[in-house]
Amino acid sequence: MTTAPARHRTENPSLAGRFRPLEPLFKGMLLASLALAVLFLVVLLSYVVTEGWDRLDPRLWENFPSKLYPERAGAQSAIVGTIYVIALTGAFCVPIGVMTAIYLEEYADGSRWWNRMIELNIQNLAGVPSIVYGILGLGVIARGLDLGRTLLTASLTLSLLVLPVVIIAAREAIRAVPGSIRQASLALGATPWQTIARQVLPAAVPGIATGVILALSRAIGEAAPLLLLGAVTHITFNPSGITDSYTVLPIQIFNWTKQPEAEFHTLASAAIVILLFILLAMNSVAIWVRNRYQKRW
Amino acid sequence: MTTTSSRLSTSQGVPVTGRPGGAGPVQPTVVNDAVEGPFDLVDTVFEVADVSVFYGDYEAVRNVDMKIGKRRITAMIGPSGCGKSTLLRCFNRMNDLIPGTRLGGKITFHGEDLYGDHVDPIEVRRRIGMVFQKPNPFPKSIYDNIAYGPRVNGVKRGLDDLVEEALVGAALWDEVKDKLKQNALALSGGQQQRLCIARTIAVKPEVILMDEPCSALDPIATAKIEDLMQNLTRDYTIVIVTHNMQQAARVSHRTAFFTADVDREGVRHGRLVEYDETSKLFTTPSDERTEAYITGRFG
Ligand SMILES: Nc1ncnc2c1ncn2[C@@H]1O[C@H](COP(=O)(O)OP(=O)(O)O)[C@@H](O)[C@H]1O
Ligand SMILES: [Mg+2]
Repeated sequence: MTTAPARHRTENPSLAGRFRPLEPLFKGMLLASLALAVLFLVVLLSYVVTEGWDRLDPRLWENFPSKLYPERAGAQSAIVGTIYVIALTGAFCVPIGVMTAIYLEEYADGSRWWNRMIELNIQNLAGVPSIVYGILGLGVIARGLDLGRTLLTASLTLSLLVLPVVIIAAREAIRAVPGSIRQASLALGATPWQTIARQVLPAAVPGIATGVILALSRAIGEAAPLLLLGAVTHITFNPSGITDSYTVLPIQIFNWTKQPEAEFHTLASAAIVILLFILLAMNSVAIWVRNRYQKRW
Repeated sequence: MTTTSSRLSTSQGVPVTGRPGGAGPVQPTVVNDAVEGPFDLVDTVFEVADVSVFYGDYEAVRNVDMKIGKRRITAMIGPSGCGKSTLLRCFNRMNDLIPGTRLGGKITFHGEDLYGDHVDPIEVRRRIGMVFQKPNPFPKSIYDNIAYGPRVNGVKRGLDDLVEEALVGAALWDEVKDKLKQNALALSGGQQQRLCIARTIAVKPEVILMDEPCSALDPIATAKIEDLMQNLTRDYTIVIVTHNMQQAARVSHRTAFFTADVDREGVRHGRLVEYDETSKLFTTPSDERTEAYITGRFG
């Protein structure tokens, strides 16, 4: 060490930095992607807000749709319908999705071919176009089960549509809970179900909440399957029960944009703002849940 | 460290003749050779008869025979990969959780076949607790960590007392009594491990299995746990896996030395080489492989 310096080293190497062009390049690319995403969002938001500004007033949620008088028309039935459909969809798909995920993660033996096949199919179902679910809902739920073109049919169909997303997200969340926690619980004489209910699920809630946000956000914007399932465009009353007919915002918006009068187009933009608002409100609930349950390992 | 005498006195009032001199190659501090009477006089908790453990087709542990004495500390030592943890997990059926695990031979617990058809592994784990290598407190308060075991076992009343008792038993009470509602993950590693011990004794098991409980801890925290183990032998039977020979020598009454034999196909199987009173195993081992290991020539 203190002897003569190695031949190939200079006596006192400089600490000056080398030229590393890739580092700033990558950082720049990351920032550019972020900027692009934010830019799109801002443009979209400002576009719909300016377009719909003239009709963003209480008439929108106090009145029902009117085909003849755009200045009197509102979207109350669609707003209420959307809230109903989303609440019911959540009520159906969250428990079923989470329970399926628990089964697949905690009980199923992954070395069995049928379990692997179920897994593969769930992945594939997540990619099936929504109109296919509409046809399924129409054929099996509306006609086969004879539930008709009702809120219930719509919610069940949307639940099927987003179920794969919920299952996949919940499985990821459950898998992320360290095995040492399960072992600790079982070693104390807890049953497998106690371990899941008291340790695994609470720890997985943040991840599950993220999946539910994604799933319900998709469901709330879906118009295609509901067109088949009879979300009628002109409904002048709120649904009073799950077997009522209904409409939802995407359908109402779609309908208004088809009208020739410019006033209806303004109305459509205003309704988009309402739809985005409902989406944000829903997501903030999920984010609140996620933060409340966030754990540090 | 400083508690040699108290360690000795905790062991069931068996006459203590004093500390042996620093014979033996690794450990000058065998404290417990005199504590142990002839093994036949100690009640047997576990009897392991010709046990082999398989992971699928792989036989990780082969033909082990040993008895584990009541309210004794039994240490299992040996190079890593020789099946110590595997065998330890068989004692409370934690191996059931690993798919494809199979046990050959027989383990009895107070004469009852631990793997008998009528045996409920949940009940087994209530009676035989386990402390893991890496402290694994639940991400909950200290109180809830300790109360978890009693709660899942249906205890609803008297939890406060149980929690205090367990924390006192694990020598942690004084350090945490003012912050029972605090998250257990805020504790230091050594405190977390004592919390895990407290959590285990809150269920009032008969046996505590420990799998390298100190390997993630610093020497001071290790010393505290070793003292604690000595105190726990008043009420509990302890089986500890350690790859630290000094630790085995310091704390245990009996030591089992395992190693991995390579068979003709080149597959390694864990074997029990020698099982004896700790003082004897470390001073006058009867197998040359044991001697090689404890003198540091191998492993
Ligand atoms: N879950 C498992 N599945 C398959 N093989 C395992 C598993 N756990 C341990 N083994 C193998 O069993 C042997 C003994 O492992 P282990 O009991 O962990 O040894 P030790 O605790 O003595 O270091 C090793 O060869 C290890 O690779
Ligand atoms: Mg091990």
